[in-house]
Order: sequence, then C-alpha cells, then structure tokens
Amino acid sequence: MSNSDDALRDRIGRLMANGLETKTEPFPENNIEFEKVLDELRELPKDALEEKLVVSGFVDKPYGEDEQRCLECMYYLVHRKWCDLPELAVPVEAEWWCRLWRI
Amino acid sequence: MANILWLQGGACSGNTMSFLNAEEPSACDLVTDFGMNILWQPSLGVELGDDVKNILTNCVSGETKLDIFVFEGSVVNAPNGTGEWNRFCGRPMKEWVRELCDAADFVVALGDCATWGGIPATAPNPSESEGLQFLKRANGGFLGADFTSKAGLPVINIPGCPAHPDWVTQILVAIATGRAGDLALDEFQRPKTFFQSFTQTGCTRNMHFAYKVSTTEFGQRKGCLFYDLGCRGPMTHSPCNRILWNRVSSKTRAGMPCLGCTEPEFPFFDLAPGTVFKTQTVMGVPKDLPTGVDKKGYIKLTGAAKAAMPAWAEQDIFVV
Repeated sequence: MSNSDDALRDRIGRLMANGLETKTEPFPENNIEFEKVLDELRELPKDALEEKLVVSGFVDKPYGEDEQRCLECMYYLVHRKWCDLPELAVPVEAEWWCRLWRI
Repeated sequence: MANILWLQGGACSGNTMSFLNAEEPSACDLVTDFGMNILWQPSLGVELGDDVKNILTNCVSGETKLDIFVFEGSVVNAPNGTGEWNRFCGRPMKEWVRELCDAADFVVALGDCATWGGIPATAPNPSESEGLQFLKRANGGFLGADFTSKAGLPVINIPGCPAHPDWVTQILVAIATGRAGDLALDEFQRPKTFFQSFTQTGCTRNMHFAYKVSTTEFGQRKGCLFYDLGCRGPMTHSPCNRILWNRVSSKTRAGMPCLGCTEPEFPFFDLAPGTVFKTQTVMGVPKDLPTGVDKKGYIKLTGAAKAAMPAWAEQDIFVV
C-alpha cells in the first residue's frame, strides 16, 4: 500500500461522507448490463474520479439485504485495499460497495 | 493387426491435424509398433476416387474386416434430411456412415462435431448436423440411442475441439491391443480415464481460484480466469492440465480461458455476442458455478477465502 493510495482512498472516503450522490441503481442484473456500465466508465477521462464514483455507484458502507461489500468482491485485492477492475482501478475500503460488485 | 478406417463429415480437419501431431505413440508408431493398419484416412490415404470407394465397399460387405471406424466431423443431414450437402464417393456421406458403423467392431466419434454436433450444430444449424449418438446433450443423434457396434459398445466419444492426440492414440491402442473391455465410459460415452477429472485439475492458477483472485485482463499471469474471463475449467471434464498439450502447456496455463470444448453444449450460449471470454453473471454471481457448488455455498466460500487470502496471492508469482 503506497502513501498516494492512502491519500486517494481518504479523498474518496471524504467525497462519499460529504454526500456524493452516486448511481447505485439499477444493479446490472446480467453481463450485458454490466458491460454497459463499463462502457460508460471507459468514456470518462482517466482522471475523472468523481464521475467514476458516480457511474459505478460507490457507497461507503455495505449495500443491500445481503450486506454486500468490496471485501467479497472478486475485484478487491485484500492486502492492497484496491479495486482491480481495470475500468475503476482505485484504492478502496473493504466495507465499501459499488454496483459493479461481482463474486 | 487392426484395420482402421477414418472418414470426415462436417469437419475442419482439426482432429486430423491434432492426431498427426501425436507423440509417444506417434501416428507412425501406431502402424509400426501397435499393428494398426490404416485402410484410409483423409490426410494419409493415397487412394483416390474409385479406389477409395472400393475400400469402403469392401468394409461394408465384410470382405475387409473393419475393426475400428473413426468418424470426425458432424453427420450432415441437409438439405431436408437428404445429406446431399456432404457427398462422398458418389453418395451422401451419412449413408456410408450408417453402413460402416454397422460393419465395424468399434466406432469412435472424434471431436465435438462427431460426438455432439459441435459448432456446425449450433443454432440455427443450417447443415442439420448431429453427432453420431448425441445431438448436444440429447442421447440419440444419427445412429440412435440404442446403437451398439459389433463388439457391443456404443459409440466411443472422444470430444474436444480438437481432441488431444493422446486421447485418440491411447484409445486406438487400447482397442487394437484387445483392451477395449477395460474402457469405462461416462454418461456421455467418454472414456472416464480422460474425462472424469476437470480441466481445472492441475491448473497452475488453482491457488488464485482458491483465494478468489481474478485475472482481469488477458496477459496477466496472476489470478484465476474463471471469475471474469469466462473460463469453464471448473465445470468442464477434460485432462488438459494433466496431459499437457505438446507436452508443455495448456490453455489456462498460457492465460487462455477454457472454452469447455469437451462438453456437449460447446460452443456455449450459441456464441451470442458478449458470451465468449466473459463470465456470465446473474446479480453479480456466476451463472455457471463450479460443478457441485451451490450459490449459497459459493458466497460463503468467497467470504472465507477473501478473508484468508495471503498477500502473495495478489501478486504475479511466475517470475521470468
């Protein structure tokens, strides 16, 4: 874990704590819908952090009845505390969630 | 001495190409060391035209004993059940196939097209293709579910796109040396010795599978190909990671997801756009889970695996 990752993670955490409204719904029910969200992300400039968080529906707590969270998501790297989905590629916390969650 | 006749129907010759790359034994070893007499084979036979037809006719009549009939490619029935789209030696190939299967002691279907219909039988199946004794998962196919060859066995199915050369040569050797009785077949008439274990068995990415680390882009050596890139290794029966290809590697070892080509449904999802090289999901959970695993268990296992993941699992451990 690098300092820059920590700083960025803190910044993302602050954005959400300050009420950043993100698109948590609709959850992509299948692969085709999932791809549509990815396409939206691909169209964004690389440094458009807030837009990325909005499109992917980030929240800073577990989500839904099943309490889904980054920790169980297959893109989450536990030790680096990192989202390894190439279209996101951001530092995250285990208790966060976004609608690109997959296991 | 075992007489072998090998024909191709709706085929790309991929299984022949695979067979010609066989080692230990090679195609030549089958002849010199194991007493096989290859009556004719599309890429090896020197006869042409009427001479080929005579070989076939003699096998059908019994003048030449046909020990093993190998068929590669689908049985083409189009148009309208006539089989005229695939003619061979003056008549529809399917008519030869029927008579040769009745004449042979053993019948071997080689490759997906001959076993289940394969790619030619994918919807809408314009060539009206089917396998010798299956159409995809449905038992029956061209010969019917009750067919048995003279030796009393159903069609021996060796699927794959293509089949590994060892799967072919070892089955041919077993039959030719009188050990066909040792062959145990599974519900899809595949030899269990090859098709009881999974493609995942022996995969070098198994540690990443266990700790739920995903390969997210082609070329990555870390991670498992199942979670994101559509690998079917955990639910496909084949020995691809036990009996390596060219004695060196396998698809998954080289970073290529298993396409499940030894299973009757191959190619999966009828090749609909977005279904190849992408794990199909329903509400974030893979549509096809590893064989024998239910959704609840999978979710529990994921949580436990992630919680226990060691740091090295997130890194590329295959250093050049």
